[in-house]
Amino acid sequence: MSALHPLLEPYEPGSHDPFDRLKAAHLLNRAGFGGTPAEVEKVLKLGPAGAVDWLLDFPDASAEERNAADVPNLSAIADIPSNFRELRQQLTNKTPEQRRQLQMKLNMANRDAFMATWGWWLKRMAHGPFQLQEKLAFFWHGHFTTSFRDERMTLLMWEQNELLRKMAAGSFRELVHAISRDPAMLDYLNNNQNRKGHPNENYARELMELFTLGIGNYSEDDVKQAARAFTGWMHDGDKYIFNARQHDFASKNFLGHTGNFNGDDVIEIILANPACARFISSELFEYFVHPGPQPQVVEALADILRGGNYQLRPLLQAMFRSRAFYNSQAIGIQIKSPVQLVIGTIRMLDLPMPPQPQALMGPLQLMGQVPMMPPNVKGWPGGHSWVNASTIFVRYNTATRLASLRTLSLGELPEESKTPEEIVDALVARLIQRPLSADKRQVLVDGYKSRPRSEQGIREVIQLIVSMPEYQLC
Amino acid sequence: MLDHLSTRRVFLQRGMTLLAATSTIPTFLDQTVLAVAGHDDELRVQPPSGKDGKILVVVQFSGGNDGLSMVIPYADDSYHRVRSQIGHDASTVHKLNDYIGLHPNLGPVADMIQKGMAAVVQGVGYPNPNRSHFRSMDIWQSARPEQQVETSGWLGRYFDNTCCGCDPQVGMSIGQQLPLAMQGDRVMPLAFERPEAFRYNGPDKERHQKLNSAVAQPPSAASAGTPEAELDFLHRTAMDAQLSSDKILQIMREFHSDSQYPPGEFGQGLRTIAAMIRGEMPTRVYYVSLGGFDTHANQRGRHDQLMKQFADGVKAFWKDMQDQRNDQRVLMMTFSEFGRRVAQNASAGTDHGTAAPMFLFGSSIKAEVVGRHPSLADLDQGDLKFTTDFRSVYASILQNWLDAPSKPILGSQFPTLPIINA
Repeated sequence: MSALHPLLEPYEPGSHDPFDRLKAAHLLNRAGFGGTPAEVEKVLKLGPAGAVDWLLDFPDASAEERNAADVPNLSAIADIPSNFRELRQQLTNKTPEQRRQLQMKLNMANRDAFMATWGWWLKRMAHGPFQLQEKLAFFWHGHFTTSFRDERMTLLMWEQNELLRKMAAGSFRELVHAISRDPAMLDYLNNNQNRKGHPNENYARELMELFTLGIGNYSEDDVKQAARAFTGWMHDGDKYIFNARQHDFASKNFLGHTGNFNGDDVIEIILANPACARFISSELFEYFVHPGPQPQVVEALADILRGGNYQLRPLLQAMFRSRAFYNSQAIGIQIKSPVQLVIGTIRMLDLPMPPQPQALMGPLQLMGQVPMMPPNVKGWPGGHSWVNASTIFVRYNTATRLASLRTLSLGELPEESKTPEEIVDALVARLIQRPLSADKRQVLVDGYKSRPRSEQGIREVIQLIVSMPEYQLC
Repeated sequence: MLDHLSTRRVFLQRGMTLLAATSTIPTFLDQTVLAVAGHDDELRVQPPSGKDGKILVVVQFSGGNDGLSMVIPYADDSYHRVRSQIGHDASTVHKLNDYIGLHPNLGPVADMIQKGMAAVVQGVGYPNPNRSHFRSMDIWQSARPEQQVETSGWLGRYFDNTCCGCDPQVGMSIGQQLPLAMQGDRVMPLAFERPEAFRYNGPDKERHQKLNSAVAQPPSAASAGTPEAELDFLHRTAMDAQLSSDKILQIMREFHSDSQYPPGEFGQGLRTIAAMIRGEMPTRVYYVSLGGFDTHANQRGRHDQLMKQFADGVKAFWKDMQDQRNDQRVLMMTFSEFGRRVAQNASAGTDHGTAAPMFLFGSSIKAEVVGRHPSLADLDQGDLKFTTDFRSVYASILQNWLDAPSKPILGSQFPTLPIINA
């Protein structure tokens, strides 16, 4: 193993560089969807190392395994057979009109169940038990994408969501093997149509290009050969099946190896390739820390990943504790994704979830990010693509609307908040993790002074803060 | 009327006095200056002008418009045979020639064709047609059927290739979301459903504007990837949006029209577009949709109503263009993601199909009917075989109307059609 890059050494607070509110909020922004005031206090007390241990302290379990009651309401699809065979039985001996009616019923039921699942997930992001597990599940959802636009069986979308949650911080090796058998993924990237003699290359290509190696680390022929290895990997409606009759058992040449490979062999050859650990390390670092990491930092993270047999926790622990994570290159440079903006506003202001979380779907769609409906297999591009002249007002108006759901009282602000200046400073510290220019601070102070000592005054200052460019960053 | 440039100047002056040391100018102004000063010949700069630039209006029929009920092969016996419930009687159609005629509710369109101001392109489609709404719409909008993952549209690439000013006002879509067709790699045009929603709706608008138009650090000090650079980007975008919003709302307030636009989103969208053209926006492409064409059951009443809505909108819009004396500057195009199956289904509706006709409107139209009508006898699994590639229509519009090279935008050179006076 190469020596740890200095930037990956743990950040040690010192008198010049204390672990302050700003850093605590930064950790909760990135390893979660933004901290509530109570969480910021907690993280401050725990310190940078203890806080990361606390954030990583969640079971490698799905929501349902942990608590059978913590699941979306799927009653709409309870009576619908998920198995293809049973589904076909329902459709036989029916007139075309009856079949159309049945299909319509199925679609409606799946749509209702989808809305329930969608709302449940947003609620869990905002008020669930484990912030980092949910943030990681959301990261993997943007990585191993599947969209309800193409996968209309809500049960399969839900099961994939649980898989990404269960394996969020476990073994990347097991995750790749599992996602390659996941029915929603088999549908989304057409591996269900990948047959001996008639290969469909879609899954094999994206497995390498987007999921494991990155472009440039394999040839077009490797795609063809890998596709043959995955022939016959199908599902029967709700679970993976290996269809031996459709599997190509002949020899394949893949990434310099020759043998009668199946999909698992192909995955193992990919994982043994140094490019794989590098690619995943880089994707994680760019998402959670900052874009354009130094190659040595990526290499050092990749070493941790490979050294730990692709276990993700050691990498995540090192990354969230590192000096690189608290670097000025990292803090406050991310443009909030629409989900981060919405869920973060709810969390930082201690707001209740809207009674119908589905009401958030409209604004999220206008801002360009509906969970479970990524635009394509690449997921959401992020960065500057979130913000343009059409989306910026939607972002401002959505945050302002959310902020009006409940007003903070003066009692909820820190004890020392007495003067208008102190009140504005307390609200800015809570909502924006960076100092504000003097003239902007003055605009906010004047705003508060126009309605001093009133809830309305506090509310309007909050609404002005969440519609500032500074609030778009985290 | 509003003078585009002077408004910007006033805004900047006002901004300067309000914020003594401001260094932020809207992205498009900055980049327009750069573009004009630059010497990149590849980029054919079209300085935006609200008074004389050519304009394209795209009308999208969402859901898969039944082309055979819009441009009707009334003289074909097989048409009447396979569409016994939903077909149109030959005596009711507006005949264009001895084979096709327009839907009974398309009288205004037939009038325009007669006056040489509109044309039909027959049998438009593409090889290996896809029958999924989403996928086929992506294909029509991206104009790259061979690509699996598409991030830009044909009009977006037109903006990228020609208007390097990156002014978001070069394109305007009336609707909640910006369609893929309008998305460029560099240019992100405007999209809004109602003009009054395209603005900050929170309290204390004056202070909000102050907070959104100042930066502490000059951008020169901000290198990429720093919070200062990101803030600068956000400030510029906010100013772009604010300027556009102010202008659009003012134009709407000042707009009066004698035309009767049909009620509903489509008619109001066309009215907004007429207002923007009248208000001398520098916009080159407008985009508006008419939805509800997915007529799997009991098609007749619904489709008749949609045709009427379309025709009434077109009539009102072109009357406005003539009253404004802007009709010479505008070309309008219609399309849908696919046509529908030739034979009706058991529910007196039609299922997803393939090729369909397109309409073009404008004073520069030089034909009435273009291309060959697909045969109703020689079908591909019950669907029409296309006779004109949709990218030929795009190429004709790009080259002969928008004066842009079509090859870099469409990926290869498609033959143009004899339809627009260059």
